[in-house]
Amino acid sequence: MHRGDGDGTRDTFEQAQHVAKPFSAETDNFSGASGLLFEQAMAQTRMAVCLTDPRLEDDPIIFCNKAFERLTGYRQEEVVGRNCRFLQGPKTSQKQVAKIREAIRSEEVLVVELLNYRKDGSTFWNALHLGPIYDDEGELRYFFGSQWDVTDIHLARAEERHAKAMAREVSHRLKNVFAVIGGIVNITGRAMDARPVSGKINERIQALGRAYEPTLDEAAFGTIEVGQAIRSVLSPYDPEGDRIVFEGNGARTEPNAVSAIGLTLHELATNASKYGALSNREGTVTVSWHHEEDRHGRQSLVIDWKEKGGPPITAKPEPTGTGFDIADRLLAFSRGTLDRIWEGDGLRARISLALRS
Amino acid sequence: MKTILILEDEPFIAMDLQFAFEDSGVQAVVAVSCSEAFTALDRHAVDGAVLDVNLGQGETCEPVAQELRKRDVPFVLHTGDLDRAGEALRDLAAPILAKPMDAEAVVERILGLRRSCEPA
Repeated sequence: MHRGDGDGTRDTFEQAQHVAKPFSAETDNFSGASGLLFEQAMAQTRMAVCLTDPRLEDDPIIFCNKAFERLTGYRQEEVVGRNCRFLQGPKTSQKQVAKIREAIRSEEVLVVELLNYRKDGSTFWNALHLGPIYDDEGELRYFFGSQWDVTDIHLARAEERHAKAMAREVSHRLKNVFAVIGGIVNITGRAMDARPVSGKINERIQALGRAYEPTLDEAAFGTIEVGQAIRSVLSPYDPEGDRIVFEGNGARTEPNAVSAIGLTLHELATNASKYGALSNREGTVTVSWHHEEDRHGRQSLVIDWKEKGGPPITAKPEPTGTGFDIADRLLAFSRGTLDRIWEGDGLRARISLALRS
Repeated sequence: MKTILILEDEPFIAMDLQFAFEDSGVQAVVAVSCSEAFTALDRHAVDGAVLDVNLGQGETCEPVAQELRKRDVPFVLHTGDLDRAGEALRDLAAPILAKPMDAEAVVERILGLRRSCEPA
């Protein structure tokens, strides 16, 4: 039962028993109605509370409430007269304990999380809040300690860390897989004397890779944030970061829609780099996205593409290019559309995708 | 620039880079591990290097990076895991190219690197 107390625990306990005056709301500055309220609040709160008397040797507990008893498994008569350190055990961080010691020494308020032990030896993560209480003359009378069991939060944090590490590992491997695919496609194109074709294939594959990459962390939630995928797909087309303007909120969509969105944006950006606003030094593209609801209450994701400052458009370009054909067909599979309007100062395009309710 | 060292344990990526360098008239020597890289450095006068950071089984390119730094040979780090590049490598302050990157773009970066270091 001696947990890090060392020798003399029993002595201190006995000694303190003689000296420690049990805390009473009646005689210790609370009287009448406020004393009653204090006692009822202390009895009813789910927050474990104890008071210690720093004027007695080894700063023993002089009061604890029911919640403290429930949390720690000790009854009040088992803890009064003892220093709180009996809650510590082998796996309690000594760094955190040192913080507590320092806060008591300097009479400061402290919130610290540490592993504590119940009477039955089981452990819990304790968010300990402690601070000094002074009397009317400004003399230190008590230390106040409240204990909150945050074990579930600790578990959740550990799981989150694990999930993040896994997502990072998957992301790393996925990037490597895409790098290897890129190598295979290039080498094959070279061997078959078809480098323009292999180049195009590679551009599309890599756009797809970029579209999916930032979604890995979130895919587990069932939906992904569109903005991250949009930025990631378009990043290579704006190395200086001053040609593409992004306007959007945290609109989300299904992970499955990412292929269609990623490849469509890739085609738009490729087209803009060759003929449109990204083909000269001045043009810009504004990409914005939002959710829209039609009159039947059906939700859709809308991505607007607006070019400005590119070479003037004199005639409507050829109605179809293979790239846009692919985009149109892919979007159709996701119940989506790509509308293109060739305005005088640049292309306006709208990607619209139905969202599953 | 005449000869480049490629330290890369994935053969397809290494091959792709090698072809891309040859297209630019640069000879590329490929090594899959640090020990191979040191052998290559003994045999060839290397003017620059592309170093994959994680070489499998916990091996990283760090010893080779240190040696290149000592010899004043410019190099880039080519990695799919930017977070795990490691403190030691970050201290080397070499440019980091994120995988996947088009092989021609990698070549362009390293050739540009060399030019900026050479006296005008």
